[in-house]
Amino acid sequence: MVKCSYCGKPAVYISRANGKAYCAKHFIEYFDRKVRRTIRRYGMFSKKEHIVVAVSGGKDSLSLLHYLIKLARKVPTWRISALLIDEGIRGYREYTIKDFMNFISEYKDVDYRIISFKEEFGATLDEIIRIGKKRGLPYLPCSYCGVFRRYLLNKVAREMGATVLATAHNLDDIIQTYLMNIIKNSWDKIARLSPTTGSARHPKFVRKVKPFFEVLEKETTLYAILNNIYPKHFVECPYAPTNIRWAIRKYLNELEERMPGTKYGLLQSLLTSLDLLKKSGREVIELNTCKICGEPSSHDVCRACMFRIELGLLRVANN
Amino acid sequence: MNILNFVSLKVVGTEVIVRVRIIDGREFRVECEGNEVKVKDILKKLRLSSEEYVIVKSGNVITEEDYVSDGDELILYPVVSGG
Repeated sequence: MVKCSYCGKPAVYISRANGKAYCAKHFIEYFDRKVRRTIRRYGMFSKKEHIVVAVSGGKDSLSLLHYLIKLARKVPTWRISALLIDEGIRGYREYTIKDFMNFISEYKDVDYRIISFKEEFGATLDEIIRIGKKRGLPYLPCSYCGVFRRYLLNKVAREMGATVLATAHNLDDIIQTYLMNIIKNSWDKIARLSPTTGSARHPKFVRKVKPFFEVLEKETTLYAILNNIYPKHFVECPYAPTNIRWAIRKYLNELEERMPGTKYGLLQSLLTSLDLLKKSGREVIELNTCKICGEPSSHDVCRACMFRIELGLLRVANN
Repeated sequence: MNILNFVSLKVVGTEVIVRVRIIDGREFRVECEGNEVKVKDILKKLRLSSEEYVIVKSGNVITEEDYVSDGDELILYPVVSGG
């Protein structure tokens, strides 16, 4: 039996980074300390905040919501709400919504909103993909999903009165995106991988933070299991395996096993890149106003409106 | 989906049979020989990465460095989220 490096009780986790073993109690303390350090290091929250947590019903977002609800008990000037985007992915999202509802029913004092692509854009993601196919557009389910989801998260969080939107991106998610964008040479997208949206300014833009920036996916899973909030339904998005992220995730996990420290090394590499981008002035994210919907956008017309026009979900005059 | 797979590696010594259930519905029966079989050896035989699963035995989370005994049942919780 592997014993906890601190108290000798049975271990539940061995950190490859520091070689220490943790029992359940000391793992929770380690996790708590790590996330609080990230929040403090990057100045994620002020004394008075309305934190809207972006949730999917998956283990990462439920862990983040659970973590922040607990933390907010010590900070009475914080208010926590949750926002779930229902993209309309049959055989997947209906189950994660059930898991979210099951979780939130335990917290009567936490407000939440569920908003769907169907009610906002007139079509579910499944329908959008069918429309795209009919129109001969490239097969990009994750691009449609990501653009529309981010658009709604910002818009609805603002409508809910959020001062900040917290997302459950973990270290694994972040380094996967980093590698994907290195491959594509997309440094503007790498600039957006920072733990907080530091320089972006727009009256309609809600600041975003990633409190799990330094937490491994395995750690958020363990946190969920130990807190008895691991979702009951194990479902996978049917579109996820079509994304290059799927392959990169697998290679990174293989590499981490052969070469422990790979993941933390890549996170350090990202931080160095962000620093270099900042020094070169390329980190600044300029936000304009979309000429069609009035939402913040890095272009004259935001990508959500561009997609809606291409898909025939939005008609605009030629001028 | 309930597929029972058999993976075995014969080495001289005591036989250890471990049942592995992944919560996505997959099931395996792993046979090992030898006295000191670790969770990570079982995962290796199944070609699974310890990075991708949290392991539970008898209702308790254990580590990949823990030993398994004959008749143990391991439940694997995938770390990789589905979305």
